[in-house]
Amino acid sequence: MTLMTIITKMAEGFEKTCAIFFLTLLFAIPLGMIIALLRGSKFKPFSGFAKVYISVLRGTPLMLQLIAVTYGPYYLFGISVSRNKLIPVVVAFAINYAAYFAEIYRSGIESMPVGQYEAAQVLGYSRAQTFFKIILPQVIRRILPSITNEIVTLVKDTSLAFTVSYQEMFTIGKQIANSQTSFVPFIVAGAFYYVFNVLVSFVMGRVEKRMSYYKI
Amino acid sequence: MSKKIIAIILAAAIGLACLCLAGCGAKQGAETTAPEESTSENAVPMRFVMGIDAEYPPFSEIGADGKYTGFDIDVCKAVCEYLGWEFDIFPVNWDNKLIQLDSHECDCVWSGMTILDSMKEAGYVISRPYFDNTQVILVKDGSDIASSADLAGKTVAVMLGTSGEKLLNEELQDLTASFKELTTCDNFLQCFTELDGNAVDAVIVDKPVAEKYASENKGFKVLDENLGEEQYGIAFRSGDEAICAQVESALDALVADGTYAKIAENYPDIQGNLIFLN
Repeated sequence: MTLMTIITKMAEGFEKTCAIFFLTLLFAIPLGMIIALLRGSKFKPFSGFAKVYISVLRGTPLMLQLIAVTYGPYYLFGISVSRNKLIPVVVAFAINYAAYFAEIYRSGIESMPVGQYEAAQVLGYSRAQTFFKIILPQVIRRILPSITNEIVTLVKDTSLAFTVSYQEMFTIGKQIANSQTSFVPFIVAGAFYYVFNVLVSFVMGRVEKRMSYYKI
Repeated sequence: MSKKIIAIILAAAIGLACLCLAGCGAKQGAETTAPEESTSENAVPMRFVMGIDAEYPPFSEIGADGKYTGFDIDVCKAVCEYLGWEFDIFPVNWDNKLIQLDSHECDCVWSGMTILDSMKEAGYVISRPYFDNTQVILVKDGSDIASSADLAGKTVAVMLGTSGEKLLNEELQDLTASFKELTTCDNFLQCFTELDGNAVDAVIVDKPVAEKYASENKGFKVLDENLGEEQYGIAFRSGDEAICAQVESALDALVADGTYAKIAENYPDIQGNLIFLN
């Protein structure tokens, strides 16, 4: 098998890797915010739910969650396994990453000095206005480095989709490696992940720069 | 800025809702198509999905052109052609193959799969065996290991989840106890690389895999000793006796008209152990 065939074959899988990556971010980032807000809620059932959610999803391996989300509905309720594997894979990744994002958001929100809330109250801001106009922009700036960390990890975690036979790049790479008894696919996979992560770091660096307006 | 942020959050939340709906929609769709499959058997050709391990040459692997190929795949294609079924491939995750078979992702597992009593006990329908396999010892040229007795005090590698691993942990427990260490590897390539890199002294592996590797790579030899005998078969879901019988009779017909032997000619490494031809 020529290097070109290996790269083309793995590039096909890379499209699926990208699909997992972008869709997971699209859903996990807002879902994490919802969980973080629930976690901070004074209403006990809400904060209790968020605590259990975070504890379970952070406390069990993503690989198990993938199997549970993909095959659980079949074994529990007899619902056919989705023909489009992307759906269960993204659901599992999104709920897992939301748990981590929620804790990052919480660390940012709790790091804001109480004085800012008090000042906003004196100035006549409502609670929602205070949160969205004053607190959130500063929180986002503060947590960006942790978020970048998590996003870079996500790029590499996409390879876990092999557990449920989702034919993403690393799954195909492993198949080629074992069929052709060759290490080349692993080198190619490393290159794919690294280049992608360099891009991610670059984009996040730019975002951080733009948010530096909120530096205090 | 804050308006933008709110807009982004709202958009994402709407997206999330869409996903939930899409997810439910897809599931409902799948539910309604399930009963159709059984009724449409007579009208539309049946779609037969073959579950393979894409990492198991020469039975099922990715070929030089990047397409799935191998002895089992060629035979299954011929069977589907004979029966007028629509042929499709699903590469399983070997560790989860039975879950994937249960949940209808594929209709059989047909990929150099060792027949285990535990599968029969669990209710899976297993075809007649078609291949005699043995576990062999692969060592480097010039190694002082000539039989399993020489493995005492050595480090040995075996692939996780294979019948070789099961053999070493059950029937051949005493032999395993004599090793210095038993290393379990995630895949065959890792086993062979450990051997090549002197991390282990021998690899215990399926005979066809060992022979293919030794013939394609210099400096390895397969010892003559057979450690454990086993047979390959095709697994179907429990209750699929009819499908199993149809596949078996198609195999008989292909053996009778010579198609089977013709396919086997392309795989000289395994030809000698094919039960239907010997």
